[in-house]
Amino acid sequence: MSENKILCNTGTVDLSVNDITEELEQLTNNKGSKLKLTPDNADSGLAKLVLTLVELIRKLVEKQAMRRVDGGLLTEEEIERLGETLMKLEMKMEELKKHFNLTDRDLNINLGPLGDLM
Amino acid sequence: MIYSILSLKKNPRKLNTMLAGIKGISGVGLYAVSVDKITVVVCDINKAEIIADKSCAIEYAGVIETLAQQFTLLPVRYGSVMESADAIKKILERNYNEIQRNLQKVENKFEFGLKVFCDSEKLMAELEDANETVQKSGSEIKNSVFRKYVNQKLIEHRREEMLLSYVDSIIVEFTRFLTHLNTINKIKKMASTKNIIDAVFLLKKNRKDEMVQAVKDFQSKYPRLNFILTGPWPPYNFVDFTIK
Repeated sequence: MSENKILCNTGTVDLSVNDITEELEQLTNNKGSKLKLTPDNADSGLAKLVLTLVELIRKLVEKQAMRRVDGGLLTEEEIERLGETLMKLEMKMEELKKHFNLTDRDLNINLGPLGDLM
Repeated sequence: MIYSILSLKKNPRKLNTMLAGIKGISGVGLYAVSVDKITVVVCDINKAEIIADKSCAIEYAGVIETLAQQFTLLPVRYGSVMESADAIKKILERNYNEIQRNLQKVENKFEFGLKVFCDSEKLMAELEDANETVQKSGSEIKNSVFRKYVNQKLIEHRREEMLLSYVDSIIVEFTRFLTHLNTINKIKKMASTKNIIDAVFLLKKNRKDEMVQAVKDFQSKYPRLNFILTGPWPPYNFVDFTIK
């Protein structure tokens, strides 16, 4: 972005034009979050896709569960069981990530103008 | 290749003179194809010659930018190619009303982008200090490892919700502030952890200074955030029709 297009940038947060450019490039061109399926990496590409979707669902479940806990809708026993389930799910995800050599950063998909999936 | 669709109600000579003075990507000359009051700016290019790289896209955007200074236009996506001028005319005729509707919507208007950045971790910590309920469950930790896990997740959840509600309140306040400017707004929140608001506004060209002032006022009110206003841009985010 050329600097003459910036009409106002007077905040106290320490962000230079380079920082902003970097941030914007990350938002619009997140190479790591693009799905690259080729004949050579079909296995790992598919694992990445499947694990990304599983992680998305796990996070949604976790969010919904926390809303219910926060709303006081669960008994102590239910919270206990929920904690155990969520903890085991997270541990299982860690195992799978390790198995397929993936990191948290890999588990995302760039949806173009809509941004990243997660 | 098509650059943009213009509203040309009068003075086509002005456009032709202008086109004679600017070059398209790779130095190719530009010319106009018209149907009634709608004109399309194009250049002749072989489809195989189109390179999808950053410098070409910037060059392409530069042409649209120059035209937008003088005419009301709808920018067209880079790489939009039609076989011939006749094919373009047919498309224009088929979509004439929709194109006119879009041109009227953006007439004498520019797009402005507003991005609000912050150090979200720092901001959340500050909001947390002012909100006792976030840590409430933390002080009630029981011995069970599962309960501790839930409590930790609950604190994270409350911090996120708190940040979201803070962002929502800024959006509401800012859009209320803009009501008198009659803007059309498109706002996304939490594009990333640092970029908490990503918005575009369609605004009358002569009200640019008021927009700049509004952002400056907000910057003074929220020193923990960084408001970056950019523009004026051609109305990239406000073209709203599908070609039939």
